[in-house]
Amino acid sequence: MFLTTQSLTKEFGKLRAVNEVSLEIRQGDIHAIIGPNGAGKSTFFNLITGYHPVTSGKTVFKGKEITHLPAYHRCQLGLTRSFQITSIYPKLTVYESVLMGLLSHRRATFNFFGSARSYYKKEVWGILEDVGLADQADRAGDSLSHGDKKRLELGITLGTEPEVLLLDEPTCGMSPDETESTMTFVKKLVEDRGLTILFTEHDMSVVFGIAKRISVLHQGTLIADGTPDKVRSNEEVRKVYLGESK
Amino acid sequence: MKSNPKKNKTSLKKYWWVALLLAAAVAAPFFISEFYLTIFGEALIMSLLALSFNLLFGYMGQLSFGQAAFYGISGYTVAMLITKAHFNFWLSLGAGVVVAAALGLIIGFFCVRLRGIYFSILTLAFAQLIYFVIYKWHDFTGGDDGIQGVYPPDFLNSSIHYYFFILIVFILATFILWRIVNSPFGYTLKSMRENSERTEFLGISIAKYQLTAFVIAAAYAGLAGALWAPFYRSMAPSALFWLKSAEPVNAAILGGPSLFFGPIFGMFIMTFFHAWVLAYTVFWAFIMGILILIVIFLLPGGMLGFVQEKIKERRENRNPTTGIN
Repeated sequence: MFLTTQSLTKEFGKLRAVNEVSLEIRQGDIHAIIGPNGAGKSTFFNLITGYHPVTSGKTVFKGKEITHLPAYHRCQLGLTRSFQITSIYPKLTVYESVLMGLLSHRRATFNFFGSARSYYKKEVWGILEDVGLADQADRAGDSLSHGDKKRLELGITLGTEPEVLLLDEPTCGMSPDETESTMTFVKKLVEDRGLTILFTEHDMSVVFGIAKRISVLHQGTLIADGTPDKVRSNEEVRKVYLGESK
Repeated sequence: MKSNPKKNKTSLKKYWWVALLLAAAVAAPFFISEFYLTIFGEALIMSLLALSFNLLFGYMGQLSFGQAAFYGISGYTVAMLITKAHFNFWLSLGAGVVVAAALGLIIGFFCVRLRGIYFSILTLAFAQLIYFVIYKWHDFTGGDDGIQGVYPPDFLNSSIHYYFFILIVFILATFILWRIVNSPFGYTLKSMRENSERTEFLGISIAKYQLTAFVIAAAYAGLAGALWAPFYRSMAPSALFWLKSAEPVNAAILGGPSLFFGPIFGMFIMTFFHAWVLAYTVFWAFIMGILILIVIFLLPGGMLGFVQEKIKERRENRNPTTGIN
């Protein structure tokens, strides 16, 4: 049992955005959560990462209940997320931004006198090479192109050396080329760094190309869960979701 | 990585002007009148207050409108210990800083939960609260009479000696703060200014770091107050009034809050300008207001920020290939 949710529920007033979702994410998997707009994907994500408080249910990570832990604490345990609307540091350089993730994860942030620039040079450059931003290391975050900003955010989250990377629509707003290279990169991460990836996505070609397991949400309820083949052949899924796009 | 050795060399070269300014500061007492030496000392002390403010504003992204509370409470602590308890001078200064930091811990505990204007208003409210306590508690603090006769030990009694004492403390304190803002802790503050949500989701407890910075800033404001009381030989409740809190705000805006030395520069301009304009007219605040308006509209990065931008532009024009990197 790596990361599980048990009857996780979120209500906004009378709206049940996430309805008793029980899910198991296995270590080393690339696990996709799909569903039409408004299916509750992002909300479900926000419950796991501690962005929203849950209404009821439980989240367990490596045998420890994390349902009510503050967001920063979950990150320290190894759950790091990206945001659907890219969340970077506009005025920090690319190098400094990635460094921030490393400083945070390695608990160096309470050091008051060492020069921050002398920390973890090798690791920062390693990540910058990995995400393909080494040649833009000295540029400010907000001067990057849209795709590069997404890569930067990925770089920042990698700095926290996560066990589980939660990506909320990682290819949102990307061109098909950028999408493909990003997903290839994500796949490589799983192989190289032994990460577990949980991501939401609405582009089906992306999902079926890469995910090992897929969970389908519809109006906040989990309607299917399993391998891509199993999900593809699921009657209900075809009806509510794939039927329209195929 | 490849540009590393080069970078170290340029950073030494980059700070030649700091050495120049230090030399000027050391030589100053032998060239300028006692009146302007006093102004110089005042500017140095107030620069510490400006640095205190800018650690929170320029680096952490929170505008405190209550730094005078820490400045004043420390000044009063020093003044009362020296005049009423005849306490050791050095221990009194230390006590002033500690009291300011402790007050910062209490006030900060409430303030760091808030952002933006709510943070500013709460710091202002706390500071005014403390001002009124000191103003009204006549038996203990002397009320609006303040406290007089705060003398430093004999060897610091001459204005030149006290000036050098201020200068040494200023250099040490500034150097330490410079190290702090460039440390991992300083970077964490900057990242919170840029995007506190992102930082929280990197595993950082925002409140803990903001509180730490708040206490450091309070201690620096306290250091300024502790130096001030024996310098001015007295303390008055106006040192805690909100107008005092506005001084470092103005200094940071004038000099440029995004630069470490910006607020110091701004405070020097303000202090000397103040002394100079007062010789001609009492409407000093009016002239100062115009100056601030000019800076806000024409030099939005502050005076020093403007200078830095020009230098950068010139460098890029001269060497266009290295423009971005």
